Amino acid sequence: MRAVWAAARAAVRRRRLQTFVIGLVAFLCTATVVVSLALLDATSTPFDRVFAAQRGAHAVAAFDRALVSDAQLTGAREGVAASAGPFAQATVSLESDDPGPWLRGPLRVVGRAAPDGDVDRLDVWQGRWATGPGEVVLNAVPADGERFAQGPLSAVSEVTVGGTTLRVVGWAWSVSASADAWATPAQVAQLDPAGTQMLYRFSGDVSSREAVRQRLSGVTTGLPGRSLLAAQPYQVMKDEAAETAGVYLPFLGPFGVLGLLVAVLIVGNVVSGAVVSGFRHIGVLKSLGFTPRQVVAVYLTMVSVPAVTGAVLGTALGVAGAYPLLSDTFRDLGYGQTGVPTWVWVAGLLGVPGLVLLTALVPARRAGRLSAAEAISAGSAPRRGRGLRVQRALSGTRLPRSVSLGLGLPFARPARTALTMASLLLGVITVTFATGLSGSLLRVAALGTEAGGDIGIRPGNPDFNETMSTRTHQEVEALLRGLPGTERIGISVTRSYAMVGQSSPVQVDFVRGDVAAMGHERQLIAGRWMSAPGEVVAPTEMANERGLKVGDTLTLEVAGDRMTVTLVGVTMMGLPGSGDDALFAPWREVPGATPDDYYYQVEVAEGTDLAGYMGAVRAADPGLSPWDNSGGDDVTPVVTTFATVLALLLATVAALGVLNTVALDVLDRRRDLGMLKSIGMTPRQVITMLVTSMAALGVVGGLLGIPFGLAAHRLVIPMAADSAKITLPDSVMAVWNPVTLALMVLCGVLIAVLGALLPARSAARLTIARVLHNE
Amino acid sequence: MTTETVVRLDGVRKEYGETAALDGVSLRIRRGEAVAVMGPSGCGKSTLLNMVAGLDRPTSGEVTVHGERLDLMSETRLALFRRHHLGMIFQFFNLLDDLSALDNVALAAQLTGSPAGTARRRALELFDELGIADRRDLYPAALSGGERQRVAVARALMNRPALLLADEPTGALDSRAGEQVMDLLIDLNQIGQTLLIVTHDERLAHRCASRLVEFADGRIAAESTLDRV
Ligand SMILES: Nc1ncnc2c1ncn2[C@@H]1O[C@H](COP(=O)(O)OP(=O)(O)OP(=O)(O)O)[C@@H](O)[C@H]1O
Ligand SMILES: [Mg+2]
Repeated sequence: MRAVWAAARAAVRRRRLQTFVIGLVAFLCTATVVVSLALLDATSTPFDRVFAAQRGAHAVAAFDRALVSDAQLTGAREGVAASAGPFAQATVSLESDDPGPWLRGPLRVVGRAAPDGDVDRLDVWQGRWATGPGEVVLNAVPADGERFAQGPLSAVSEVTVGGTTLRVVGWAWSVSASADAWATPAQVAQLDPAGTQMLYRFSGDVSSREAVRQRLSGVTTGLPGRSLLAAQPYQVMKDEAAETAGVYLPFLGPFGVLGLLVAVLIVGNVVSGAVVSGFRHIGVLKSLGFTPRQVVAVYLTMVSVPAVTGAVLGTALGVAGAYPLLSDTFRDLGYGQTGVPTWVWVAGLLGVPGLVLLTALVPARRAGRLSAAEAISAGSAPRRGRGLRVQRALSGTRLPRSVSLGLGLPFARPARTALTMASLLLGVITVTFATGLSGSLLRVAALGTEAGGDIGIRPGNPDFNETMSTRTHQEVEALLRGLPGTERIGISVTRSYAMVGQSSPVQVDFVRGDVAAMGHERQLIAGRWMSAPGEVVAPTEMANERGLKVGDTLTLEVAGDRMTVTLVGVTMMGLPGSGDDALFAPWREVPGATPDDYYYQVEVAEGTDLAGYMGAVRAADPGLSPWDNSGGDDVTPVVTTFATVLALLLATVAALGVLNTVALDVLDRRRDLGMLKSIGMTPRQVITMLVTSMAALGVVGGLLGIPFGLAAHRLVIPMAADSAKITLPDSVMAVWNPVTLALMVLCGVLIAVLGALLPARSAARLTIARVLHNE
Repeated sequence: MTTETVVRLDGVRKEYGETAALDGVSLRIRRGEAVAVMGPSGCGKSTLLNMVAGLDRPTSGEVTVHGERLDLMSETRLALFRRHHLGMIFQFFNLLDDLSALDNVALAAQLTGSPAGTARRRALELFDELGIADRRDLYPAALSGGERQRVAVARALMNRPALLLADEPTGALDSRAGEQVMDLLIDLNQIGQTLLIVTHDERLAHRCASRLVEFADGRIAAESTLDRV
């Protein structure tokens, strides 16, 4: 064993560069794998994690207070592992006008003395719990301090329900969606509660909605009939969560897969290269009396030292890098502080070194079986046909000799070339995919922010101590058009209609002004923009959910106002004021609409200061309440950041694969290099030769990799859109043009050249005098 | 210095760590001379050759070849200098395995930018002169040792060097092949080629060289003029 260790240590010392490259590749691959796995884990299970942390309710049940007593409810425990409640529950309507789309009546207020308990442990992320009369805590996804301060939530200081005004003292988040608001039990008792809430965690099977319903029936069998008013299985919330997180998975999943593939390939190439180039060394060891098993051990020790070191450092970097990215992202979705789970740590620490050893085992065993004589003469075996014909043809070309020699190099070792090519290929695929992905997402985001205008304006809401403008919509429009910087204005008024043949009502946004020109027309996925009364356009999410197609005729009805309209187009999104569940219709006056039923959006001239503009709006009419609508979405920056980081990591790893190949070539061919120098090859010609050999592979890798990258882009974007239940206009896919494609080929060349440059330069500087005189 | 002096070493010292491979060597070689260097293994013969070829730099001292100070040149200048003024042959031939014999020889001219056609024509002339024309399309692995060394000589002569350096040119050959290479070197010297040959082989030294330099421990121990056999 001591001999093995000594020989391995000597081998590591003699191959400093090899050892360093193995370590670096293990390091970067581990970091990539850890980030990718953490990402996959975070995208696939955020709901489950938060659900477990909050001890979420398998069922949120509401019972009729008139039919069943609290004591009966507490007594019914058939199949219940844990429960919370009974809590009084009042359903009240918000008497103020909507403070925003995120808070709409009716409101479910539950009386709870404390946020914790056996089930549904609430995350009170802002302010405190309601402890006294007149206090309320609202349910919302957590936002960090800065975001909270900017966002619409911080503006809500009180809500008026059932004639009582309640002061908002805190914000809490329930992943089980057990209530919209919480107050003290005494406070809720005054709101005339009709229901009693029970929160259950069951001990039996809860894998499906049906299973949850069965568990629930175990609880209700002893209770008076029809006392259960409503029950919400947790799958409802889980599906909703999957819809959001599901957008990330198809975007980022391919990076995880690419990362693992590149890791396997490069590690394989680096390690088998190290072993093959050590064949002579093996021969010497054997002639000294090392057994085959000892030879294998020497080689495995030689590669595992840098592999383990690299993996440890790589795991640390991966975790350190993934943590802030993940927690930032998933906090905004309401899934709290997302850490890197243990199994990812373990996979990083054990997986990559394991992979390295496994890859090393194949050539190491071959080395072990080799006879000493064979091993010593390895590498000087005569070469075969095709490579030689290529060399001959190249030798006769008009290319500078250093270039044609370089072009011939890859043919000398086809297996090594294939592995190098594969890693270049994956590098190019990754970069192409990341570029396409970011390009498309930026287009989607641009379409979205563009259509929303820069500034949204509604008349102030008196319920929030704001004054409401008394101007008519025509007057507000005139006022806004008169402000410096105004470029375009869209105006809408929303009305709710019953839709014949559909159970839930639909909102209709009657629009005029520049709504189409502000970007909604460019968002069309199908059909055309409306051009006459009686035509409507629907956002894709609404069309998909309600099964509407272009050409459908819809009958809408409210308070004697009946209209038959034809769907002529489908857009990507709805108006920011009303969300994706409202139809666009040409302008008409809505009887009985008050000034605050109107929504205005303004696009300002390039370079206009938004804060200044909003100030000017308020100064012109204090009854108008403007906000900045120019921000993008949450998904785009996250995905583009991840895509960029992972693409850079993988490109670096691919470049290291090239570096390793060139380093091995130099090692294998140092006699040839010495001879070439002795007959007058200049250092620059040496560099040219070695860099050309890899740049050629870069060109081929670029040309072959691009179609795969394009295909991945073509496949993944619609998949992601699908899981978000939307369709995207074709224009977002058209991010490619000849220039960007040429850049992608160039990127393959760049990876190859950058990887080759370092070892090529050191080869050019190498003093090879000694190898020339001695074999 | 007259142009008649092709190589001039003045107090050349080369240290590798603690040990001095060359310890103050001064030597002159005139045009048309054939100098043989002999000495025990490890005494610094190959190191001397490396200095003259500009493949390595002296720790101190001056190396002047063909009127130029090699110890002061950049790597690139050295490469260009070797290309135009020096030819080298080695004990183990150092041919590129994946080029044919002809392309191995043409390579030397192609590196200077000669088109492939011109380079191959000049290489063919040399193959004819050296009597290996029928071997031109074979690869090194298919050639005998003597043939490989003759290909190496052809490559060294491609650019009509002022000086031909040889390190144990017959060291890896049997006696018959060795004789052929010696005859070749003698012929070359007779038409004016300056030679510097490092060897262990007394016969080679006495047949080919006009002057013998004996080396020991990095120094010149003795010099003598030879009457060629
Ligand atoms: N690159 C080097 N690094 C360290 N020591 C070296 C190096 N090159 C040569 N030496 C040492 O310098 C001394 C002279 O070596 P050199 O190769 O010139 O001997 P030589 O006379 O050619 O021997 P041989 O007849 O065996 O070829 C030796 O002791 C050798 O070990
Ligand atoms: Mg020697």
